[in-house]
Amino acid sequence: MTNTHVPDDIAAFLYLEARYADESRYDDWESLWADDAIYWLPTKDDSDPSVDVSYIYDNRSRIHSRLAQLKTGRRYSQSPPSKMRRMLSNLEVLGEQGDDVNIGANFVLYEHRNGTHVWAGRYLYTVRRTADGLQLVKKTALLVNNEDAIRTVAFII
Amino acid sequence: MTAQMDRASSIDIASLIQHDRIHGSLYTDPAIFDLEMTALFENAWVFVGHDSEIPEKGDYLTRRIGRQPVIVARGKDEVVRVLLNRCTHRANMLCRADSGNAALFRCPYHGWTYANDGRLQGVPFREGYDQEMAEMRSELGMAQAHQVEIYGGFIFANLYGNAGSFDDYIGRAKGPIDRLLSLSPEGRIELRGGWMKHRSAANWKIVNESQVDGYHPLFTHESVYKAIMPAKVDYASDELLVATRDLGGGHNEVDYSREYQAQDAEFIWFKRTPREKMAKYVAAMEAAVGADETHKRFVDGPPHTFIWPNLFLAEMHVIMVEPVAANESIQYTAPIHIAGGEEINARILRNAEGAMGPAGFLIADDGEMGERNQAGLAAKQPEWALLSRGFSSEVQEDKGLTSYDRTSETTQRAMWVHYKELMTEDQA
Repeated sequence: MTNTHVPDDIAAFLYLEARYADESRYDDWESLWADDAIYWLPTKDDSDPSVDVSYIYDNRSRIHSRLAQLKTGRRYSQSPPSKMRRMLSNLEVLGEQGDDVNIGANFVLYEHRNGTHVWAGRYLYTVRRTADGLQLVKKTALLVNNEDAIRTVAFII
Repeated sequence: MTAQMDRASSIDIASLIQHDRIHGSLYTDPAIFDLEMTALFENAWVFVGHDSEIPEKGDYLTRRIGRQPVIVARGKDEVVRVLLNRCTHRANMLCRADSGNAALFRCPYHGWTYANDGRLQGVPFREGYDQEMAEMRSELGMAQAHQVEIYGGFIFANLYGNAGSFDDYIGRAKGPIDRLLSLSPEGRIELRGGWMKHRSAANWKIVNESQVDGYHPLFTHESVYKAIMPAKVDYASDELLVATRDLGGGHNEVDYSREYQAQDAEFIWFKRTPREKMAKYVAAMEAAVGADETHKRFVDGPPHTFIWPNLFLAEMHVIMVEPVAANESIQYTAPIHIAGGEEINARILRNAEGAMGPAGFLIADDGEMGERNQAGLAAKQPEWALLSRGFSSEVQEDKGLTSYDRTSETTQRAMWVHYKELMTEDQA
């Protein structure tokens, strides 16, 4: 049987990432990312980002821009920021290449802003082991309703 | 007759729309919304899709005209039809997918089948029907829009056939479509990246109005200009040569071309991307139309034009607005693929994600303004929303009623003048 057990340090890293996102701690969240980052919210599960439009397809530089905009306080769709809590579960190692580990998890996110909204789906992460500790290389959020119309998602999903 | 319809017939729409103000109930009243679906969608020309979304025989996609579900299908005869998405037997919805390819639509309830041109093909156990049914069988094909017209690849439908001629409808909106296609060395665009779909708690007309609002960028989008990049033109300048224009028929635009021409700079509209980064595209354009004409087109850029009632040529994106209820709408956004565009298309795709849709640096905040607009309308005083800005600055030109004050509400007034005409036709 394949070993899908997620090492404790990686699980702790992903819970930290989730808490920074929940609490809109933009600088702390940004510090988790590697230089070759991809933060991705596709419009369907089997999306090809070279052809298909995504809701979010941020490289490292665009992650920085996104957070810089949020930090102006005039990003009106997040002013004030959403109050959020998300649950991660079913964490599994899906594969490894060198220092990079691929993890899958299910999530449910409660977002309160102009009413309470539920976002749910699957996260796919790539986490890298480096001399300076763990880094987030890629985070993909596959919403269960990504092919339907979705509400504004200006917070960190 | 329901109470709502009863009330609707007694609403005096004309009195709610004045030349410089409109009544708040036009955004909130469910009875008015019902009237709009009939007058502005079912009995009018509306945009339903782009022919590049259904390039092959049998390709189809599902859309709505107002609230009615339709299938836009390319038959095996290559003809594009707009079919009502309903089995003629007992009204099951025939097709639930967003898009696909099918030779037949088969109703899963009792197995009736229809060819992809809408003709009834098969009825299981047909001996169970009497002679009367056999005689009416040819009339039991799927209902379809009376007229479908395609211009520049954009597919428009006239559902009930009451909307007058297509040429009268499209009017001066052909120019902006041509302007968009002129950015392709092949004279074509495609939509091949799919759509972002953004749901918001705002009336569909609020979404439309914000798309062509030249007054809001400095304020709504302050965070972008502050934190990410300067605006493409200096919205704070008194010298800005950006026009707002009523093209007639509800169509309207914000036209940046004179400002771009004054600067004589290419791709101001495309993050000032230098030619060198899109060398193949530039070469293809010059081969197709010559160096001078290529320069002119790269300066003038794409249209920022709203085509009544639900299509917005959003520069390098196409937007479609779908009304859901008086207080809910969906804004669909597709990046444009320029045929023969090579390098530019990859950039358009990534720009779409940066600026547009529910997470976009621009549109997420426009969505927020739309929802705040709807929320504010719950306050019933004052009763009117003002649309008087720039009224006296308008001049009649060949292209339409134009104001060279970019903050003029000429664009919004263009929609309401036409709205009033269509909504009061039967009341006159």
